[in-house]
Amino acid sequence: MTATDRSSATTAAAHEAPLVALRDVHLRFGANEVLKGIDLEVRRGEAVSIIGPSGSGKSTILRCITGLLRPQRGAIRVGDTQVDALRSEAELIALRKRVGFVFQQYNLFPHLTVLENLVIAPTRVAGRDRAAAQREARALLDKVRLSHKEAAYPGELSGGQQQRVAIARALAMRPELMLFDEVTSALDPETVGEVLTVIRDLVQEGLTCVLVTHEMRFAEEISDQVYFTEAGVIVEHGPAPRIFGQPESERTRAFLRRALGEGARTAPARPAPLPEALPFERLRFAL
Amino acid sequence: MASEIALPQGSAPAIAADAGTPAWRRPWALAAWAALALVAFWAATGTTPTAFVHLWTWLPALLRGLLANIEISVLAMVLGTLAGLLVGALSLSPLRVLRVAARWYVQVFRNAPVLVLVYFTTYVFPFELHLVSWTFPFPDWIKVVLGLALPASANVAEIFRGAIQSIPSAQWEAAQSLAFRRSEIFRLIVLPQCLRRMLPPWMNLYASITMSTALASLVGVHDVVDTAQIASNTVARTDFTILVYFTLLGLFFACCYPIARATRALERRHDRH
Amino acid sequence: MSEALLAQAVAALKTVGLNYAFVLDLGERSAFLRGLGVTLQLCLLTIPASLAAGVLIASALTSGRAWLVQPARAFVEVTRNTPTLVQLYCAFLVLNMLITQHVKLPGGNPLTPFVWVVIVVSLHKGVFHAEALRAGIEAVPRVTLEAARSLGFSQRQLLWRVELPLALRFALPALVNNLVDLVKMTAVASAIAVGDVTYESIMIWTQRDNVLELLLLILVFFGLLTWLVSLVGRWLEERLRMSGYGQ
Repeated sequence: MTATDRSSATTAAAHEAPLVALRDVHLRFGANEVLKGIDLEVRRGEAVSIIGPSGSGKSTILRCITGLLRPQRGAIRVGDTQVDALRSEAELIALRKRVGFVFQQYNLFPHLTVLENLVIAPTRVAGRDRAAAQREARALLDKVRLSHKEAAYPGELSGGQQQRVAIARALAMRPELMLFDEVTSALDPETVGEVLTVIRDLVQEGLTCVLVTHEMRFAEEISDQVYFTEAGVIVEHGPAPRIFGQPESERTRAFLRRALGEGARTAPARPAPLPEALPFERLRFAL
Repeated sequence: MASEIALPQGSAPAIAADAGTPAWRRPWALAAWAALALVAFWAATGTTPTAFVHLWTWLPALLRGLLANIEISVLAMVLGTLAGLLVGALSLSPLRVLRVAARWYVQVFRNAPVLVLVYFTTYVFPFELHLVSWTFPFPDWIKVVLGLALPASANVAEIFRGAIQSIPSAQWEAAQSLAFRRSEIFRLIVLPQCLRRMLPPWMNLYASITMSTALASLVGVHDVVDTAQIASNTVARTDFTILVYFTLLGLFFACCYPIARATRALERRHDRH
Repeated sequence: MSEALLAQAVAALKTVGLNYAFVLDLGERSAFLRGLGVTLQLCLLTIPASLAAGVLIASALTSGRAWLVQPARAFVEVTRNTPTLVQLYCAFLVLNMLITQHVKLPGGNPLTPFVWVVIVVSLHKGVFHAEALRAGIEAVPRVTLEAARSLGFSQRQLLWRVELPLALRFALPALVNNLVDLVKMTAVASAIAVGDVTYESIMIWTQRDNVLELLLLILVFFGLLTWLVSLVGRWLEERLRMSGYGQ
C-alpha cells in the first residue's frame, strides 16, 4: 500500500465509527490514580502513537483496551464489544483473539521453541488445525526474517530477534488490532532498527496499530495520530505533523524538547539537558 | 513500569498472610489468647479436666526433658559449625588431596540418614573413655551430640561453599587488581559478605537439628519425647496420651517456629539489598 | 554356590576385624534382605505420594482464597517446625488408636504402621515440595503470564501450558534435594517397628553385637539410593533445561 493509498483509505475510514474508543477512563491502583479521564480514538487502518514521560499511564491505556486491567470509571469500546462491561473469562478471551499485544520483555514462552511459540495459541485458543497453523507460522517467520530460527529456544535469541518472534506470534492469531507496549525500550540500539522495520511494514500494509514508544522519529514517520499523555491525562492529540512540528501546549513542547533535544533516540532514564538554556545552547545540541 | 502492575484476577503470588495484621491479631497469637482464656476459666472454676491436671503435674518433667533437647542442639550446632567451617575452608584449599577429602566428608555425612549416624556414635563408641589412668564416663547424650554434629558440620561446609561461590568473581578480580593478597581478600571482602549470606540457611539448619534431637529418645536419652512416653505409660489414660503427644508437638513448635520467623525476616531484609 | 562366595567374603572381612557372620545365617540374611525390600518400597511409595501432596498444598497456598490459604499455611508451619518422629507418634499412637477404637470395620484397622509411615513422611516432605513449588511459581515472570493471557489463554490453559511447566523447571533442584532427604527420612520407620532395613539391623545387632558392620551396610545402601535419586534428578534437569535461562 503506498502512502497515498493509505491516506485515502484512512479518509474513508474517518467516516465510519472508530475501531477503538475510550471515553473518560479513570483507573486507580489503591490510592494511586494512574488514569484521570482518558479520551482516545483509533480508526480502522490507522497507526496511533502514545508518547509521554514514564509513569504517565501509557502502558495502562493499552492494557485497558485488551481487558488486562479494568478501569473504575469510563467506557472502552473495541469494534462492537463494550470492554468495560465484559465480565466472564469467555468474553475476555473472545476479545483477546481479535487484539494482538506485544510487551517490552519476557514475552515468549522459554520452554517452547520459536515455532511452538507461534503455533500454541492458534491451536489451543483458536482451535485451528495444527498443520495449517504451522504453515502460517512459517510464513510469518519468513515475514520477520527469522525462518532459520524456527527450532531455536527463546533463550538462544537476541532481544531484537525475540521481539520479532513475539510480533509474529501476535500476528498468528490474525488480529484486527495490534498493541505495542514500548517494544524497543529494552533493546540495544543496533537491534532496535530491525524491530521498527517490521512494525513499519505492518503499518504500511494497513494494520490498525497503537504504539507506546519513546522512538520519536519513528513515531513521527509512521503515525497518523499522536497522543501525548502526562500524569494520567491526554495533554494534546492530533495528526503527527502538527504534534511534532507545531505543538499547541507548552508541556508538549517541553517534553519534545527533552526527548528530541538529545538526538534521534531517547532513553527515558537519561537526564535531560538544562531546560533553562539560552536558545543558542539549544541549537548546539540539535546539530 | 506498567509491567510491574499486579494483575487483578487469578494471578499467582503467595500472599504473606499476616503482612498487614498487627502482632496481637495474628493466628498464633489468637490461639494463644484462646488457650490462656480457657486455662484461666478452668483455674477459676476448678473444673479442669483430669487429663489436663495430669499434664500440669508432668509439665516440669517435660520441660526438663526439653532442656536436654536444647542443650544437645546447641552443643551439636557449636561443634558442627566449627568443624563445618574447617571442612569448608579445606574444600577451597589449593591442595587437591585436601579438596577431595573435604568433598568426600560432605558427601558421606549429607547422604547418611541422621538416625543411622546417631546409632553409629551411640553404639560404636565405648561407654567409658580411658585416658592414661583416668576413666571418664561417656554419657549417651554426648554421643547424640556427636552424632548430630556430624551431619551439621557437613551441611555447614556446604552452606559455606555455597556462600563463597555466590560472591561474584568480579569482586575477587577487583580486589586482586587493588593488589590485595589472597588471605586479605578473604578476610576483608569475601568473608564479611559470606557470613551475611550464610545466616539464613544456618538458622534453618539449627531448626532442623533441634528437631532431630527428638531421635535421642530412641537411644535411651531422657529427652522430652522419652519423658512423654514415660508419662503416657504411667498415667495410662487415652485422653492424657492424646494430650501429651500433642503437647510435644506444641513444645517443639514453640522452639522452632520463632527461629523460622526470624530466618524469614532476615532473608527478606537481605533480599532488599 | 553363592554360599561359598559369601563364606569367602565373610572370612576376608574378618581379617580386617569386621564380623559379617550374620550373612551366613539363612534366617538373619533373609530378614536383612526383607528389610532392604521394605525400605525400597517405602521410597517408591513416598516419592510420588509426597510430590502429589506437594502439588495439592502448593495449589492451596497460591489459590488466593483465604479459606484455602489459611489452613494450608497453618498445616505447612506446624509440619515444618515439628520433628517427623513426633508427628509419626502422634499419627500412629494417637490417631491410629482413636481409629481402632471408634471405627468398627470387619478385619480391624486397615491402616498398618507401614501405611502410617507412608502417610506421615509423604505429608511432611509434601510440605517442603509445596514451598519449593511456590517459589517456582513466583519465579515465573509476570509479563510472560500477561503475554499468555493477551493471546487469549483461559486461566486453566495458562496454568497447565505456561505457569506449571516453568514453575517446575525453576523448582526442580529444590525438589530433588527434598527427595534425597525423603529417602533418608524413611529410616524413622524403625521407631514404630516397621520392618525396614534399620529395624532389621537393630534386631540383628542386639543378638550379635555387630553394630558397626551393619551400620556400614546401611550407609552403603542409603548412599546408593540417594545417589540414584540425584542421578535421576540431574537427568531430568538436563532434559527440561531451557537454554539461556540460568545454568
